[in-house]
Amino acid sequence: MYEVISADDHVQEPPDLWTSRLSKTKFGDRIPHLERDTDGAEHWVVDGRVLLDGHVALTGALMPDVTQEPRQWSEVPPAAYVPADRLKAMDEVGVRYSVLFPTVAGPAGEAFGSIADPELELACVQAYNDWLIEEWAGASDRFVPQCIVPVTPAAAADEIRRAVAKGHRGVVYPAVPMELKALPHIAEPEFDPLWATCQELDVPLCLHAGASRSLQYSFPEGLPPRRAEALDAVTKPVSMVYVLNTFLFARILTRYPKLKLVLAESGLSWAMLDLEWSDHQFEHDELPSEGYEFTPLQLFHRQCYLNTWYDPVAPFAHYLGADRILWSTNLPRATSTWPKTQEIIERSFQGASDEVRKQVLWDNAASLYKV
Amino acid sequence: MELKYGLISADSHAGFDRDDFTSRMSAAKWGDKIPHVAAAPPRERDADAAPSPFGGHEGGDGWTVYGQPPGALANCPALMPKNPVVSPKRWEEVPRGYYDPAERLKRLDEDGVDAEVLFPNPPGNTFFSFKDADFELDAVRAYNDALGDWTKVSDRYWPLMTLPWLQEMPGMVAELERAVAAGHKGINMPGHTPSGLPPIFNPHWDPIWDACQQLDIPVHFHGSAGIHAGMKLKQWDGYSRRQGHSAFTSTSAVTPAQIVPNMIFAGVTDRFPQLKVVFAEAGIGGLNYVISACDYEWEKRRLWEEGLITRPSETVRRQMFVNFWFEDEGIKLRHDIGIDNIMWESDFPHITAYYPDSWKAVDRVLEGVSESDRTKLLYENALRVYGVNATIKTPVPA
Repeated sequence: MYEVISADDHVQEPPDLWTSRLSKTKFGDRIPHLERDTDGAEHWVVDGRVLLDGHVALTGALMPDVTQEPRQWSEVPPAAYVPADRLKAMDEVGVRYSVLFPTVAGPAGEAFGSIADPELELACVQAYNDWLIEEWAGASDRFVPQCIVPVTPAAAADEIRRAVAKGHRGVVYPAVPMELKALPHIAEPEFDPLWATCQELDVPLCLHAGASRSLQYSFPEGLPPRRAEALDAVTKPVSMVYVLNTFLFARILTRYPKLKLVLAESGLSWAMLDLEWSDHQFEHDELPSEGYEFTPLQLFHRQCYLNTWYDPVAPFAHYLGADRILWSTNLPRATSTWPKTQEIIERSFQGASDEVRKQVLWDNAASLYKV
Repeated sequence: MELKYGLISADSHAGFDRDDFTSRMSAAKWGDKIPHVAAAPPRERDADAAPSPFGGHEGGDGWTVYGQPPGALANCPALMPKNPVVSPKRWEEVPRGYYDPAERLKRLDEDGVDAEVLFPNPPGNTFFSFKDADFELDAVRAYNDALGDWTKVSDRYWPLMTLPWLQEMPGMVAELERAVAAGHKGINMPGHTPSGLPPIFNPHWDPIWDACQQLDIPVHFHGSAGIHAGMKLKQWDGYSRRQGHSAFTSTSAVTPAQIVPNMIFAGVTDRFPQLKVVFAEAGIGGLNYVISACDYEWEKRRLWEEGLITRPSETVRRQMFVNFWFEDEGIKLRHDIGIDNIMWESDFPHITAYYPDSWKAVDRVLEGVSESDRTKLLYENALRVYGVNATIKTPVPA
């Protein structure tokens, strides 16, 4: 069995996470909580807004049928939200360490960003960050906790400092803050405190696919749910192309040369064309004459990481760099390789050397997260 | 036809003569709304811009459509003097080889290109945004007739029609059939259907796919033509023109990875298994992702139980075609992508073109590629996709 550090898994937040930690007298019904429909289905509500497209949890991989998500909390499999059960699920597929992203708080940490009241946004964020340290990181050092943050740059920088002091080892940030709040474009210097803080504290900045559906081609309406979910799973990772190019061309990585940028759930193969094309266009459009020190590919090789769970690796590793690729199981999402993780690893690394396989499955994440 | 060079461009851009629309649309009916070239001050957003090769409107002449302020005049940097390359500002500066099909044949010969598939240039090929169905139909017919006439000059021109999207379905199909009779070899699709109408992969549009399948003409999605609209991250306004162009252009790498899964999972490709779909100016490597990602999710979610009976990678090999021009890494993986699914494109006369040195670029990218693969990539696949019979005069130089 190959030993793996899974660089992208998701915790499932339990129903009392926020209700037990936020002041009912202060925030009332605006606190994230579960509500039940007349047909018994449950869904999350925060500040009057339904989260997770009306799902109670996203745990397809752990369900008896991967195409069926739970409808009520009572149907949610314990390995989604009980750390001890999660460890057993990890053991089954050779995952030694698991890097944690949220679910209810938004797979990309986007769910609370559109709350208008900054006090409520911060309270929701801090409750998640405290809970993750106490309940998960406290349960086992095999969990690598990553904090979420308020989307406003200065508030984000403050929360990163607080969370990292408590033990968080990565920062989950939604790639489209300007869609969530009245904020400038993410490439503007207003965001510098965020990049500067990640660089200073040496914690990776993790942008997870799916922060916004607006980065995907609009789906035909009326698609049956299973097909729509497959379509979403395929088109979400490639939406990261816009985010990656922004960091490469808008000089963010040039100004913060030690900032480490992780594109989580990005997939792999599309990026080779994007980067080859970016370098080609960079020369063809004569950008070296406009004061760029490095080509897009050079910046990528210096500071970026992609993350995949089933792509073939050998055809792309030589160009992208075997040190730029992270592996994951994506547990407990429907798209997860669990429980066939080892079988898919075997298939994905056909033609790759043992050294490349070890780098991707272990070494890269180990050094990034100081495991 | 007879191929002299053994090189077909599956993505070039036709130029329009200034009277292409005025000579084909009723002045009594449409007056100044007819697309024509007019002098105008620069658009506000272009007023301070440095001259660039990217076809904005910095003052001078530009195409006006439906009475709107003039936009770009001509996108033909490959034909303009170099150092620095700029777009023409006055109609008089537009090279004849851009819009005159007879003159343009000489440019093709200089470049060693036998034939070219023709995509649009200013004033473009979508006329639905004015919400005037009558106008759209007349403009579409003028567009299709103008490019249909290029085929009377030479069988080396393979134009792509545009459709009148505001017509009822019978009217759309009638124009489609009329354009094929006029010499068109396929359809250039808009990135999105007009607002208020169903999205492009809704079954509402099935008669279009059906007609294409029956007539054996491919549909085309062009990388930079509006597919990104509504899905891209808002472009940062701190870029210079060149930077913005670079940062945006390469994101077209993922347009097949957005469109193909939509077609597959919406069931279009299963309902129309002989429909051919071409992605222009999107590179070829995007299909690597489509193949592995769609197969993975199809298996994971057992989508054959939902009536999607064909494995997505088989659909891709059967129906999807992509074009290369610079892509060393993609060409190395040509057999993973599908050696029968790849064509060459020049993008002439846009900034991307290597004109008049296309062969130098071809030889560089295809270094070490076998003779039989070369012929497929350079012309055999294109002949098959566009249903053209041809003999080759001389073998392709290796």
